[in-house]
Amino acid sequence: MSTSTVKGRAVAAVAPIRARAVPVRKRRRDHLTGYAFMAPFLILFALFLVWPVIHGLYLSFTDQSLTGHGGQFIGLANYFEAFADGQMWQSLLNTLWFTVLSTIPLVLVALVMALLVQQGLPAQWLWRLSFFMPFLLASTVVSLIWAWLFNPSLGLVNSFLASLGIPPVAWLQDPNVSMISIVIATVWWTVGFNFLLYLSALQNIPDQQYEAASIDGAGKWRQLLSITIPQLAPTTALILILQVLASLKVFDQVYQMLNQAITPSTRSAVVYIFETGFTGYRFGYSSAISYIFFALIIIVSLVQLRATSRKSL
Amino acid sequence: MNSSPILPEKRTPLGKHKPVSRRSMLLGSAGAIGAAWLATGLTGCSAVAAGGVVPLSFWHLLTGGDGIRMSGLVDRANSENPDFKATQTVLTWGAPYYTKLAMASAGGRAPEVAIMHASRVPGYAPGGLLDPWDLDMLAKNDVTEADFPQLVWDKGFSDKKLYSVALDIHPFILIYNKDIAKKAGVLGSDGKLPPMSSPEEFIAVARAMQLATGVHGLSYGYLNDGSQLWRLWYTLYLQHGATMELPPGGTVKMNTDAAISAFDFMRKLLDDKIATSRGDYATAVAEFVAGRSGMFLTGVWELPTVQSACMNVGAMAIPTLFGTPAAYADSHSFVLPHQNDPDKTKRADSYRFVADILKNSFDWAKAGHVPAYLPVTENPAYRSLKPQADYVEITKIVNYDPAAWFSGSGSDFQNIFGQNLQGVLLSGADPAAGIRGFVQQINTLLSKPSPV
Repeated sequence: MSTSTVKGRAVAAVAPIRARAVPVRKRRRDHLTGYAFMAPFLILFALFLVWPVIHGLYLSFTDQSLTGHGGQFIGLANYFEAFADGQMWQSLLNTLWFTVLSTIPLVLVALVMALLVQQGLPAQWLWRLSFFMPFLLASTVVSLIWAWLFNPSLGLVNSFLASLGIPPVAWLQDPNVSMISIVIATVWWTVGFNFLLYLSALQNIPDQQYEAASIDGAGKWRQLLSITIPQLAPTTALILILQVLASLKVFDQVYQMLNQAITPSTRSAVVYIFETGFTGYRFGYSSAISYIFFALIIIVSLVQLRATSRKSL
Repeated sequence: MNSSPILPEKRTPLGKHKPVSRRSMLLGSAGAIGAAWLATGLTGCSAVAAGGVVPLSFWHLLTGGDGIRMSGLVDRANSENPDFKATQTVLTWGAPYYTKLAMASAGGRAPEVAIMHASRVPGYAPGGLLDPWDLDMLAKNDVTEADFPQLVWDKGFSDKKLYSVALDIHPFILIYNKDIAKKAGVLGSDGKLPPMSSPEEFIAVARAMQLATGVHGLSYGYLNDGSQLWRLWYTLYLQHGATMELPPGGTVKMNTDAAISAFDFMRKLLDDKIATSRGDYATAVAEFVAGRSGMFLTGVWELPTVQSACMNVGAMAIPTLFGTPAAYADSHSFVLPHQNDPDKTKRADSYRFVADILKNSFDWAKAGHVPAYLPVTENPAYRSLKPQADYVEITKIVNYDPAAWFSGSGSDFQNIFGQNLQGVLLSGADPAAGIRGFVQQINTLLSKPSPV
């Protein structure tokens, strides 16, 4: 766009008489050039996002099978089946539960880590690096590391517990604790990103505010509550939005850490969509569940948007 | 730094002579990539045409030691038949493989030959994802009904057509450490374990082994592995003379008393003395190889792992403890994924390729599997292959998964079993409740029309 403006000026300077006629044709050509530059993105966007979204909606009204069979239009039958499907509701609830369980520590732990580093601990670079490093790992690597740590008979976690005299726990196999185990691994893996956001926000708070506060006699604790945390509010809102969306989509860790032993209490919505569509071959039904899940995400996002926009006012 | 005032003057004329704009650079590289793509396409075609070598694509799910042996067999088939060249595509065992195979067949891009578990064929054949084998063409390549154990040959049929030809039978067996058995005083003069015909006798041997190792008597890993849980439980369940049927549109037909009895016995074994109650697959292998247990309940495919640890091991069918001889097994079987318009030459070569691998499957036996092709197992060379020859008779009592579109190795069926019943062994949950949960979920699947 900037190049064409420069060119336009040049043309206007050379032929001042035609200057009035040029812009119309020129503008049209500029538009075309603009679209041409956007084309690589637009084509891929349409092909791999817009089209699948529309086609998925269509599939949700059919009995399409992964094996190519079916494809008959069956109206809302998939949606009726889904609304009566206890496993689907359970998986949606699990997803929400996971989002709650993971988002809270992912915000609090990140904040505490950022505050600690900001306090000026010695060897700051080492803390920053080690807090952020896990975020760089692939989900497969994270899952493998934690599957071994949580191994009920050979794992480090249980051997540590044993040294404290606590009986071993089947971290990933016991349906009562496996969700917590996945949350622990997820927090370890992704907290570094939030930590970094908080740290940069902390560094942007002007020192004068703290100086003024200490002159007024505010202690460290008062400064934290009255300056730091309010100043971090926009960052907290951003982290919450990103985190809720990421947690709702949870799949990798669950699928990889639990291997095949995904129990009804750990099955997330995306895992259930995968199971019905890709191993159960029911593409139409799986698409319908995807759309129900899609609606749920939109509702959560709207609620969140409401809450955060009020906060920023 | 010193030359910096001179450089611009020197550079400018160069720049004026050959300005390379970003656009021409992009166009040039795009052209180069396009040309390279065209060139590979062309050479790809011309190589086939010039040499007259027919390319066969062959998909399977054999990795690790099995994968290496299969590569050897494929190389051998290629060198013995210079007019075709089979290329392998190896995919991850279980759902990833079967999903991709189904999609490839549905999308008209199926490989010429593939390996499937015989237990998965009932889910694929009726949907038209597979083409049947032609019995006459097979016979021309010396592959006939008489060359296979009856049970195994029959398993390949669906709707009176042959859809799969078994390469092997891979049952769930008992591997034992002879040195530990000797120390425990349970090794017979023939170098084998004594006959065991009741749960008590088996437990007595396992206890003796445990005293000998000081750790565990038996290794068995099932955590987060529905398949492993299913394989042992199904063996013990069948030994009660019980059966399981999954009629489409109906409900699961099974014997709940036998099911619970099998679990009761498994719980007696996993008492944290004879065997750990929290064993997963990898832990069980490691424990047995490290000599921390004397017996190992697993599939024949673990035999090479155990042997490579230079152990003095024996292997046998799981003893008949509840009256009826029975074993769980599956077969790696050759199938012809559906082609809309099969190339006649490729089809004919596919038959020759499969026949060649079957005839050379003695090498496959070294991986622990029992070759399905009888001329191989009836050969004296196989009879002297120990301990493989000690469990060859098991092929007469094998049982595959109950047939349904969703059952079979690495299927949702085995996962659902694991999900519902793992807690019985792990945390002492009620087996009857676990079975109810399992039956309920399977009934839901049975009530829905097959998507295949």
